Amino acid sequence: MNKQSAKHQTYAFQGKTPMDAASNENAKTITLTIDDESISVPQGSNVLEAAKRLSIDISSFCYHPGLSIAAVCRQCLVSIEGVPKLQPSCQAICQEGMVVRTQDEQSMDARRQMLEFTLVNHPIDCPICDRAGDCTLQKMYFEHDYQLSKIDVPKVRKPKAKDIGKHIMLDAERCILCTRCIRVCDEVANEHQLTMINRGDKQELTTTETLDNPYSLNTVDVCPVGALTEKEFRFSMRSWELMMTPSVCSGCSTGCNIEIHHRNTEVYRIKPRYHKDINKHWMCDEGRSIHKQWYENRLTGPMREGIPVSWEDAMTHAGHCIKTVLDTDCDSIGVVFSPHHTNEANYLLYKLTQSWGVKKLFMGGAVAVPDRADDILMDQDVTPNRQGVISIVDAGLEDTQTLISQITLGTIKTLIVLGSELDVAPMITDSSCQIIVFSEYETDMVSNASVAFPISAWMETDGSVTNRDNHIQRIYSAMPSAGQSLSAWETLVRLSNETGHGLKYNDLRSVDACMRRHHNFPQHNWDNVNPRVQLRFEHSRG
Amino acid sequence: MDTVTQSEKTTVGRATVVTVKREPSQTTSFMMTLIRGMTVTMRHFFSNLFTKTQTETLEYPEEKIPYPERHRGLHRLMKRDDGRVRCVACMCCPTACPANCITIVPAETDDPSVEKYPAVFEIDELRCIVCGLCVEACPCDAIRMDTKLHAAPVEFRGDAIETKTSLLERGGLSHAIQAGKGSDWRESEQ
Repeated sequence: MNKQSAKHQTYAFQGKTPMDAASNENAKTITLTIDDESISVPQGSNVLEAAKRLSIDISSFCYHPGLSIAAVCRQCLVSIEGVPKLQPSCQAICQEGMVVRTQDEQSMDARRQMLEFTLVNHPIDCPICDRAGDCTLQKMYFEHDYQLSKIDVPKVRKPKAKDIGKHIMLDAERCILCTRCIRVCDEVANEHQLTMINRGDKQELTTTETLDNPYSLNTVDVCPVGALTEKEFRFSMRSWELMMTPSVCSGCSTGCNIEIHHRNTEVYRIKPRYHKDINKHWMCDEGRSIHKQWYENRLTGPMREGIPVSWEDAMTHAGHCIKTVLDTDCDSIGVVFSPHHTNEANYLLYKLTQSWGVKKLFMGGAVAVPDRADDILMDQDVTPNRQGVISIVDAGLEDTQTLISQITLGTIKTLIVLGSELDVAPMITDSSCQIIVFSEYETDMVSNASVAFPISAWMETDGSVTNRDNHIQRIYSAMPSAGQSLSAWETLVRLSNETGHGLKYNDLRSVDACMRRHHNFPQHNWDNVNPRVQLRFEHSRG
Repeated sequence: MDTVTQSEKTTVGRATVVTVKREPSQTTSFMMTLIRGMTVTMRHFFSNLFTKTQTETLEYPEEKIPYPERHRGLHRLMKRDDGRVRCVACMCCPTACPANCITIVPAETDDPSVEKYPAVFEIDELRCIVCGLCVEACPCDAIRMDTKLHAAPVEFRGDAIETKTSLLERGGLSHAIQAGKGSDWRESEQ
């Protein structure tokens, strides 16, 4: 099935998921009783989601709040008054006056026995399984079963370490046949690439074609066991050793919410974080490998004409250059803003241009990639904060073609560039223009610049970014800045002091407060200083 | 108490000096105590001289105290029947290690029954506090501390790091059974 022929594109994004039903504020509310506690939920929500609101965790494998309901694992059985048989709570829709029991002997016994069934053919190779510590089955076993296997017949053998796609390995023995991955491919990526073959205990997950859709790694996220594993992350690190810092993807203007999983100063993987309006539970494969770009070719110290110098030297020189130009010909300065940097950095640069009286402002950033755009999550604009720059610099922002023509005409002789991504960088580098650049990476422009300041890369930055739909979201730094580099806002404050137009900011919070006053941005929660957690069972997302 | 009552107190500036006057026998007659002490020494001297079997002293290094069964010495890595390392790089020992002295870099093998093996297995014996938690954590009897060896003194810190090679040199065969069915349980079930 190709993208064009698909009629019901992206089921998971059309607001039909169980989670959407359970959080629909416009719907009529109905009241039911779960474990002697009364709760009101929107009409259409299922018992499992209602129980979650009461902090009652009903075990489940096949149910995922962002996918359609399959009810194949029977792990969420509960007893409902007036119904003779136990019901799967994921499929049972809440009714007015319904009385549900989740912890009574009958349903607990049924859930324990269902788990025993699930474990019949599971290899229980937790020590070598990559999902150990992050695995729903392991968690359920400790919560429900906790007993030795009573089965003495041989386990069914299935293929192990099977390469099923560009990013994914399948261990069919570990698979508990929950079909979540099949539904992810069908409903999120809208490509039917996974399917079940055979029946009973011979049932096995397999591919109809290569699993190569651009959202394939979501199958690894939803897999409750270690059946599907990510090739890049496989065996590299135990998940319980990792720290999680919430952030936003820097890959495109969609602004998917992500979790950066890191240890010490290395990022190991990127996982999606739930956001109701932007990315739901998902993200694209391209965004997951974005952390490799964050490390390549970093600029770790200030440079003058391509020669490493000290911060003081670079600052004095840059300040001197700018002051000289400001005194003689203020109009020959051009400033390039970066849609790859936070609102705070761009705001400070904008404030600086205002206090200098500079009028020539340009929008930098990478060129759009129309090929990658789809209706699901990926956008052709590969800059994470273009909207933010536009809303900060409300008037007079020009594109890079104007910049080039002005440089050729000779009206711009000094250029201040924020960020390393600039499509016209080679042309600027070739011109006789004096360049002061704030860059994370060592580019050609950096080695030819009069002064180059090293600034923090995405995973080292605190601040906020604005996505294509004007959602302003907070990003957090996962680790200290590499080498001698400093945050962009701090570098800009230092430079402003050097040019005698001091911006009086001591921390990012005051920058943010000032920015909010001027641009009517919503307030962020700055009190949550370090939302970093270590990934243990309580944070596992199995 | 007597000595205190017999003491004299004089004041020198702000300090008070207490001169304690003792009985003459307490200060001069230490002979009785000395004789008592020497009696013990001589009793042991002569008993050791004539009845050698009761001597507590060992002629180290010719003689050594046998270590108890559960003594924890230098680590070793156990091997499979074909000589490969038993370790499956599950990372349980570095997780359990309170001193963070174990470094494992896992890698993938071609053998589907093993799947994962340690490409690097290093133990820093200077950091090791010999607690034995790594041995307890190991689910496959891959690491043991039953060598009854002590960590050798080293000149450089780096020399104290035991590598996979040196750990395997001390290692022996292990036929410990896994999951109650033996290490080849997959094959025997076919």
